[in-house]
Amino acid sequence: MAAPSGPRPGWSRRAQYGLFFSFIAAIVSLAIGLVLLAFSIAAPGSFRDMKGLALDATAPITQSLHAVSATVEGLASGAGNYWDAARQNGELRRQRDFMREQLIAARAIREENGQLKAALQLREETPDSVAAGRLVGSSFQSPRRFAILSAGTRDGVRIGMPIRSSSGLIGRVIDAGGLASRILLISDRASIVPARLLRTGQAVIAQGRGDGSIDVKPLEVGRNPFRPGDLIITSGTGGLYPPLVPVARVSRLDGDNAIALPLAAPGAVSFAIAQQPYEPEAMAPLTAKDQDLP
Amino acid sequence: MARSALASKRKIGRGPIAGAALVPAASVVVAILLSALPIVAETGWFPDFGFLILIAWRLLRGDVWPSWWAAPLGLVNDLIAGFPVGLSVSVWTASMLALDLLDRRTIWRDYWIEWALASLLILVEETAQWQVSAWMAAPVPFSFMFPPLLISIAAFPVAAWLVGRLDHWRLGRQ
Repeated sequence: MAAPSGPRPGWSRRAQYGLFFSFIAAIVSLAIGLVLLAFSIAAPGSFRDMKGLALDATAPITQSLHAVSATVEGLASGAGNYWDAARQNGELRRQRDFMREQLIAARAIREENGQLKAALQLREETPDSVAAGRLVGSSFQSPRRFAILSAGTRDGVRIGMPIRSSSGLIGRVIDAGGLASRILLISDRASIVPARLLRTGQAVIAQGRGDGSIDVKPLEVGRNPFRPGDLIITSGTGGLYPPLVPVARVSRLDGDNAIALPLAAPGAVSFAIAQQPYEPEAMAPLTAKDQDLP
Repeated sequence: MARSALASKRKIGRGPIAGAALVPAASVVVAILLSALPIVAETGWFPDFGFLILIAWRLLRGDVWPSWWAAPLGLVNDLIAGFPVGLSVSVWTASMLALDLLDRRTIWRDYWIEWALASLLILVEETAQWQVSAWMAAPVPFSFMFPPLLISIAAFPVAAWLVGRLDHWRLGRQ
């Protein structure tokens, strides 16, 4: 096939000018696009209102479709649970008896802990949860790891709030619309969580790798402190994430670091909770710089 | 004779549907809206649907839209799919301009050349995404981009087929 003759309008002067002006307009819009991109990179907070509006525009579609897919999934997994029910039942009973013992031990420890804290006159505020929502979407087309939470500024969600689920830390809010907000997941490359190793209490840093896993680095140089299966929890350093929230489980060692998998897999969590930043005062000098990051 | 003349109006009297000139841009917007689907993925391996449909239209016809229309369409993609504002605006407009310039040079065009051109544009687009996220404090190794790159290139023929069907429908051909 010979190439199409392309946009050659023949002898018409009017058509020729039209084509020329659309060419100029394309070059101008390319320049505008590059300027917008430069703004997005240099000052990521710049288009907050526009992004919030776009989140609101797609929120009804995403949330209603999510309801449909959740129902279908629920039917499928509900039917699956009846299969092999007797064996599952026995196993759950065994687990329950084991957990009961653990629970009693934990209760005793908590009481002792409370007494010790009272003796030390240590005051610890647990941050209030602001809103609960579901993770209804994600950036499945881009190398960044974002998720969409079905709660927005109308529910009290603000930019910078940490997001967690019952099983662990999920991330923090970077764009907020009225009905939905965008979350920077802890598996994104730009997300850094100050954390510690539960087994030894050693301070570590958990940085996302961009493929759903997390790179955990010890702060002190020395022997690799990790073992496969180790739990990583937040340390509360920095004032954004509350302490003692489970983050990830180490899956394998990698040189001085370890590769871990998030405990709250974004695809599997049913509810996500937005909380107040742990120590807003401690964060105040940081926020301006920190919120420019993503 | 009279009966057949009355019965069949298939061949004659069928023109483009109303608003045929807007169908291509509308289909790109619909493709962009696919990124609002409730998929929670750990990896970003899905193709950029809007971009695939955009280049499929442009490779099918040189005059579907004035090239600058790619800029507002790119802005919609940036906002809905959550890319940094300006990324798709620049990349989409630049691809339209590149294809405009290329159309003046090419003397032969067949399906394989179109697929190769599309693959090249997809490579440029994915590289731009990768580079911009590196500039925005999220540098991932380039090997992370291979799966989405291959998936997008493999998905282009599907987009081209879809666009071909839409083109027949909007121009009233069967």
